[in-house]
Amino acid sequence: MSALIRLHGVCKDYMSGPEVVHALVDVELEVGAGELVAVVGASGSGKSTLMNILGCLDRPTRGRYELAGIDVTERSTDQRALVRNRLIGFVFQGFNLLPRTTALENVELPLVYRGVSAKERFRRAAHALAQVGLADRAHHTPAQLSGGQQQRVAIARALVTSPPLLLADEPTGNLDTRTSHEVLGLLQELSEQHGITVMIVTHEADIAACTRRIITVRDGRIFRDEPNAEPRIAEPAPSRP
Amino acid sequence: MSALVTSLRMAVRAMVRQRLRSLLTSVGISIGVAAVVLVAALGTGARGEIDKQIQSLGSNVIFVFSQPATKSGAKSRANMGMGLTERDAEAIRREATAVTAVTVYSEVSAQVMSELGNGKIGVMGVDESYFEVRGYEVATGRRFNESEAQTKAKVALIAPTAQQKLFGNQDPVGRWVRVGKHPFRIIGTLRSKGQSPFEDQDDRILIPIGTWRSRVVPTLGDRVQLVMASAKSAEHSGEAERQVKQILMQRHQIAEGEEPDFRVGTQQEFQKMQEGIFTVLTVLLLSVAAISLLVGGVGVMNIMLVGVTERTREIGIRMAIGAKPADIQAQFLLESIALTLFGGFAGIGLATGLMLAFARELGFPMQLSGQAVAVALGTSAAIGLTFGFWPARRAAHLDPIEALRHE
Repeated sequence: MSALIRLHGVCKDYMSGPEVVHALVDVELEVGAGELVAVVGASGSGKSTLMNILGCLDRPTRGRYELAGIDVTERSTDQRALVRNRLIGFVFQGFNLLPRTTALENVELPLVYRGVSAKERFRRAAHALAQVGLADRAHHTPAQLSGGQQQRVAIARALVTSPPLLLADEPTGNLDTRTSHEVLGLLQELSEQHGITVMIVTHEADIAACTRRIITVRDGRIFRDEPNAEPRIAEPAPSRP
Repeated sequence: MSALVTSLRMAVRAMVRQRLRSLLTSVGISIGVAAVVLVAALGTGARGEIDKQIQSLGSNVIFVFSQPATKSGAKSRANMGMGLTERDAEAIRREATAVTAVTVYSEVSAQVMSELGNGKIGVMGVDESYFEVRGYEVATGRRFNESEAQTKAKVALIAPTAQQKLFGNQDPVGRWVRVGKHPFRIIGTLRSKGQSPFEDQDDRILIPIGTWRSRVVPTLGDRVQLVMASAKSAEHSGEAERQVKQILMQRHQIAEGEEPDFRVGTQQEFQKMQEGIFTVLTVLLLSVAAISLLVGGVGVMNIMLVGVTERTREIGIRMAIGAKPADIQAQFLLESIALTLFGGFAGIGLATGLMLAFARELGFPMQLSGQAVAVALGTSAAIGLTFGFWPARRAAHLDPIEALRHE
């Protein structure tokens, strides 16, 4: 497996009042294409900072970050926006869909910033929604959808650009157990059947157990990084009742 | 192109979502734009129209009004008030070489009746030269002739507005009207001369001056309200004015440097006066425009800043999925331009209403021109761009991580 993500000596410091906080210290990490990885750790461990750097939302203070062979460490703001648009899909804990905007339009949004024609946007967004089993909810607004459905719309939005990397920050944090498993099943499927690298930040061991590799972050360092030989199979997403 | 259409749709939708807020914010812009449209309309339409009205007074006309002398004394008192007489007019006709025609008139507003209607109408006593000097043309029938003027015949010509009041759509020629206790026979109708800067020139009947003096206002002797003289040409009007002044000074026995009991005015002076009114009006409207556009613009800026704060999370989401700072900036700029353009359209509507009201109430003709619309929309867009710039820039420079965390 060729490495999609390469972190080399990555440090992140920031000022908290007069004190310097070392959020990440000398992180070395390689993640291959198609891997399904959990990043676990207590709050304040540095896992969110790690995800922000992996998502090109933040820059490391020192060290180097290569994504798909591109050194993205010292890129300009515009170029990093481009990297996020082309190479990364985001799924957030709070879903982060635009309110009063239909599911279809939410899914189309990344393509708007790529300058794709309206017709093509519609085609691809409809396809992505079908992939997450929500073709029949295309014209519903987030307020008209359940939490699980909203999160699946968010996954469709992350998928619509066919990125090699999907970053999910506590994707099941706002969902009940049953719905959590639906969403996890979907993420497993994306990794296994579509070769997308999926990284899930979570503090729940239960969720982490569904992945193939578990990275534990503690005090800004990678404390443990071990494969999970027998991942639990999350229930496959059931067809809509 | 498709991205622009999409962004425009997003901008309009954001505006529609906050209907009340958008409406209130654009009120200031509307007033400012309305003022701009009125200035443009004054510049293009009304100025030319008023010039035309002044031309309609006649060609190269010199007006002589009587005015009470400020000095006391027996000599002045004799000339007080209606100091001009028909003999003054004759003297000008005889002696002023730069003048081609001289006429006199007196007018009184009186209740005039016909068998079909009645109304308050100007009754003018005029001599035969009046038609040339003022450029009145006969539409149907005829003018009164010399013998009718000399015999003080009770004949009248009627102008369109008065005709409408007294006869509706009936042909008035040959019919009768009554002024006081005297019946007058209508012998002709006049073509419309339209609005002058002072009055409706079509709301009157014209009768021989001799008849006017003996039948309508018999107390004035041979005094007249106004003497009008036509200069030979525009170039001669200065000379004609001097000659008229000199003749009257002599006849009224007024020494050099003394306050005369009359005032001489030319068409050019009216034009200058009108220009003055335009300048004042333009400056006034431009001040209104500047103030309301500034205040409105600040309002737009304020509401855009509120919008940026409220939608911080949305901005974070957009950035995370690949919006560049320039995309965010363009989005908010388009929103503020959509807002001010909405205000601009409302302003054009407001200005159109005002112009109609002006035209009807004050006889002040103004028209909405394509140029005015272009200026109005250009101004609104520029205001949106100017006052939306800083909020949009602020939105564009948000940190995506902070923005995503915003609650």
